[in-house]
Amino acid sequence: MNSFHPGESSSHPFREPAPLPSSIPKVNELGATSAPLKSAAFFIGAYCKEFNEDFMLCKAENRDPAHCLKEGRRVTRCATDLISKMRENCLQQFEAHWNCLELNNQEYPPCRKPERVLNKCMFEKLGLVKSIPGTTPGQTPIHEVENPLYGRMQK
Amino acid sequence: MSTHFRQDMPPVGGFEAVRYKRNLPLRGPSGLAILGGVTALCAYGFYRVGMGNIEKRELQREKIWSRIHLVPLLLAEGDRDAYRRERAALAREQEIMKDVKDWEVGKSVYNNPRYRSPEWIVVL
Repeated sequence: MNSFHPGESSSHPFREPAPLPSSIPKVNELGATSAPLKSAAFFIGAYCKEFNEDFMLCKAENRDPAHCLKEGRRVTRCATDLISKMRENCLQQFEAHWNCLELNNQEYPPCRKPERVLNKCMFEKLGLVKSIPGTTPGQTPIHEVENPLYGRMQK
Repeated sequence: MSTHFRQDMPPVGGFEAVRYKRNLPLRGPSGLAILGGVTALCAYGFYRVGMGNIEKRELQREKIWSRIHLVPLLLAEGDRDAYRRERAALAREQEIMKDVKDWEVGKSVYNNPRYRSPEWIVVL
């Protein structure tokens, strides 16, 4: 018999054991940690633009989690596709960059060197370009500035 | 008897003239040069601060966009989990309230069709 445990004084977090209903098609979760995701963020944005926008428009219609499951699966499949492509084509550069992010508080400025190598590889192999939306036209994007003021303290 | 006195007198040719006039020789760079130098240094410093502010703003924008690009992915994953837990909670509610007549499972307490995330969970 179950007894009542107040949630705030529970010794272990509550985990719902029930699986997703079988009527929902299975999709493998991406499972990447924060540094690889941050490293791949702009490529996910470029590669999965349509799926992402579709999903966000759907969420704007209704915040119910049940409403956008199909679009959500597409988003996850697209991101999984991109990460596996990155790992196939630019594994070394990708790992160098996200390991650098891990060691540098997950900030981009100290990791420009591995980032440029990765961007170059991604452009050559997959044709994906990192572009920050809203950059003033004619201005050098911040990730391509040669001598930035902010960077690593130790050279 | 008479004593031989010797009067203390000024040196021969008189005393030197007392130097009472102000004597402040000009040394080092002129005031105008110092003022100009400090102004130039400050101007350069403020220029660097300004460039740094522009750069910081761009870095902030880059960081924000890297997060914006990840929002759909993380939201989709969270939604699937939230859906799974909501279904389980509804099934549990149905099981618990099966003997109560006219009980509507998962009925909102608000007279509004807008979705609300659950305010509480049952810890079993």
